Amino acid sequence: MHKTAKRSAAAAAAGVLALTLALTGCGSSNNTSNTGTKDAATGGNASPAAAGDDTAPVTFSVFMNGPGQQPTPDNKILKLIKDETGISFNMEFLVGDLQQKLGVMIAGGDYPDILSGDDKLINAKAYIPLEDLIEKYAPNLKKHYGAVWNQIKDESDGHIYVLPSYGVYQGKITEPTYQGPGFWLQKGVLEEMGYPTPKTLDEYFDIIAKYKEKHPDMIGFESLNFDWRVFPLQNPPEHLSGHPNDGAVIVDNNVAQIFADKDISKTYYKKLNEINAQGLMDKEAFVQNYDQYLAKIASGKVIGMFDQHWNFQDGEKSLISQGKLENTYIGFPLLYPGAEEWYRDRGAVGTNRGFGISINAKDPVRIIKFWDKMITEDWQKTLQWGVKGEDYEVNADGSFYRTPEQRANADQTSWQVANKISGMFGYMPKIQGTYSDGNAADAGTQPQEFFDSLKPYDQKILKAYNKKSWSEFFKEPKENNIYFPAYSIVLKDGSPAQLAQSKLNDLQIKYLPKAIMASPAEFDSVWQDYVDRIHKLDIKAYEDRMNEGIQQRIEKWSVK
Amino acid sequence: MSDAVLDKQVKKQKTRKSKIDPEIGVSLSWKTLKTQKQLIFMSVPIALYLIIFNYVPIWGWLMAFQNYRPAVSFGQQEWVGLQQFKFLFSDDTFMLVLRNTIAMSFINLVLGTVTAIGLALLLNEIKLKFFKRAVQSISYLPHFLSMVIAAGIVSTSLSIDGGIVNVVLMKLHLIKDPIMWLSEGKYFWGIIGAANVWKEVGWGTIIYLAAITSIDPSLYEAASIDGAKRFQKMRYITLPGIKATFVILLIMNIGHILDAGFELQYLLGNGLTVDYSQTIDIFVVKYGLAMGNYSLATAAGIFKTIVSVILVFIANNVAKRLGEERLL
Repeated sequence: MHKTAKRSAAAAAAGVLALTLALTGCGSSNNTSNTGTKDAATGGNASPAAAGDDTAPVTFSVFMNGPGQQPTPDNKILKLIKDETGISFNMEFLVGDLQQKLGVMIAGGDYPDILSGDDKLINAKAYIPLEDLIEKYAPNLKKHYGAVWNQIKDESDGHIYVLPSYGVYQGKITEPTYQGPGFWLQKGVLEEMGYPTPKTLDEYFDIIAKYKEKHPDMIGFESLNFDWRVFPLQNPPEHLSGHPNDGAVIVDNNVAQIFADKDISKTYYKKLNEINAQGLMDKEAFVQNYDQYLAKIASGKVIGMFDQHWNFQDGEKSLISQGKLENTYIGFPLLYPGAEEWYRDRGAVGTNRGFGISINAKDPVRIIKFWDKMITEDWQKTLQWGVKGEDYEVNADGSFYRTPEQRANADQTSWQVANKISGMFGYMPKIQGTYSDGNAADAGTQPQEFFDSLKPYDQKILKAYNKKSWSEFFKEPKENNIYFPAYSIVLKDGSPAQLAQSKLNDLQIKYLPKAIMASPAEFDSVWQDYVDRIHKLDIKAYEDRMNEGIQQRIEKWSVK
Repeated sequence: MSDAVLDKQVKKQKTRKSKIDPEIGVSLSWKTLKTQKQLIFMSVPIALYLIIFNYVPIWGWLMAFQNYRPAVSFGQQEWVGLQQFKFLFSDDTFMLVLRNTIAMSFINLVLGTVTAIGLALLLNEIKLKFFKRAVQSISYLPHFLSMVIAAGIVSTSLSIDGGIVNVVLMKLHLIKDPIMWLSEGKYFWGIIGAANVWKEVGWGTIIYLAAITSIDPSLYEAASIDGAKRFQKMRYITLPGIKATFVILLIMNIGHILDAGFELQYLLGNGLTVDYSQTIDIFVVKYGLAMGNYSLATAAGIFKTIVSVILVFIANNVAKRLGEERLL
């Protein structure tokens, strides 16, 4: 009896050991079996592209690097695509942490057919080069990307791995909602002050001062200096002096220099120092985090701020859902005397953001042909506007519009998942601007349609300003400089340029709030201290790298 | 089994045990291995786990002596000797973050221990079960909050716009105008210390309470008979009773003196307080990981480990000299 007990104990221990070994080994064994089945599936599914059968049913797996909603199985657009091309999709949206997901994918080499763009995946050689495929099979895509052909090539080896989804325009840019930088004021404030149009900092802060005098519990001027969202504090000088958003540098005649230590900066922060002394600046502006900033905007108490619209839009959305339209904002392009406005820009091509074809893809030719078909105007209209007569109407002079019922539909998530493929379309090559018949690319950018879809209060405000859209408060964007934007020039990891940039950023985060909150008498000495510290950094390394990058882009990106 | 047989077996075991005298007891002999093979088998997975996850990664320390670049094979990495360490110790910012780290860690250690023991002593005196449990639950609930939420609560309650701290201080007429607590570096360490106490005091108390319950009740009875009052009992029985626990925890915590924290400081810090809020961990993230300088991050990590190991040994030795319980 004794012996058996002992033996069974030994067996149990061995069992535990075996289990542990199995568990530790499980990762790899699982992996191999997975790839095994996958390969088998791929083999079974591969369609004979060479045979020229272009409508045979096939399913492509697609991974998108952001969260999104699965279209319903009977989705209208997917059905149209399947009927015409035989292609259906197995979509996977990101759940959880992207880096982790990519890490697992790369480690296992387990890629779907179509992959959204990512530098990490490019470095892991997960994509096949597309330029030859496009030349051979995709005349429409070639035409679409013609003007930016050199820009969308990967910087390191000159191949095209990802087809950018945004930033390739044709026709006219009609962009009624403005997402870029500006000095914002509440609509209600403007209404009460008799619809003024501030053009300078003085006029702008004058409006805030006058309004706050009457409504003392409002917050005057708001700012944000948190985490990576420090640009609301750092960027105004470049816009005020008539430069587009190139990040930490301004570029004149293709020569970049930092502006943090220049007079255009001092003027602006001195002004903020003044208004802080007058009690117009939010005292907590520099100690709050992003959520607190949004909460303040959503409370409707903030009269104005400098920011990019997309950065505070969540706060504004909350205002809209509360029905407080009078607390939402209009942006103004303030300028220093003599400066020429360049607030709005033409959004650079989103290089490496879009779709690429993975090295595991079963039929790259079929995929590229599919995208080529999708970029034709007819398909773009279907993808962006919907089906004619169902989702939009055409009036006598050929322009597209929607009935109130169609608008209400389009706002509903349940309708969207059954009638649109917005999630995947966000990553596909697309036409922006206008079609050859003059209609805007989608309902949101069609000027009349946009105006008609606005709430009566917004329409009233726009009428008072004699405008049709929010972006009309800004000048039409000039043609981008070829290198634009300079902030996307890559600084090598660990290089002196990168170190200088990072230290400069740290100095700004620390000293700008200090200078603004100092008593006006002390401002100049704090500023001097700040400038001295900037000059101790290796700024030259940073500027040199920027200029090198600009020259490289001018040389490589120009299409001759 | 008859009593006699049982008796024999016990005796047999006893004699067998006595054969393993103290000296052989610790050394490994095949015989002991054989008699304890179940134990050995059971510890194999644990040992494997430790080797795989705690010892194999030490290999990565080599990175600190290279100018490590990802995606380049090991043989092709550039060796730079102690350059990363030199950079670390010649950088002004690093000296500042080292100071901040030690200061905040020290504050946390002292405040955390004192409040935890204090609360445990007080709770121990409470006879009303329900009240005691309620206090305990309320005090350890914040432990389960994520740091992001905790930081949000802290910064909201310190706000000048209706934050509870300012409101209370104003109502008590201690201050005239609301104070911007988070905008001044000199307040920062105190805020972190207080926030940590709020978040962790209940959790820390549990261990001390457990230690207190293991004190022999007859000691208290004897003391009462000798005429000891409440505070005397606390002082002469409870406190010495938990001394061993306290010393062991102290030694363990001293090993973490360079881990002042990351999240709370990162989330509550801002441009105005950066000279006081940045810790080693934040420095590593900013100048190491974010800038792809993994070698520097590793060097900082090695520095932390070595300092921690040295401190633990010192603390352990001091405890030994003082005749206290030891960890090692």
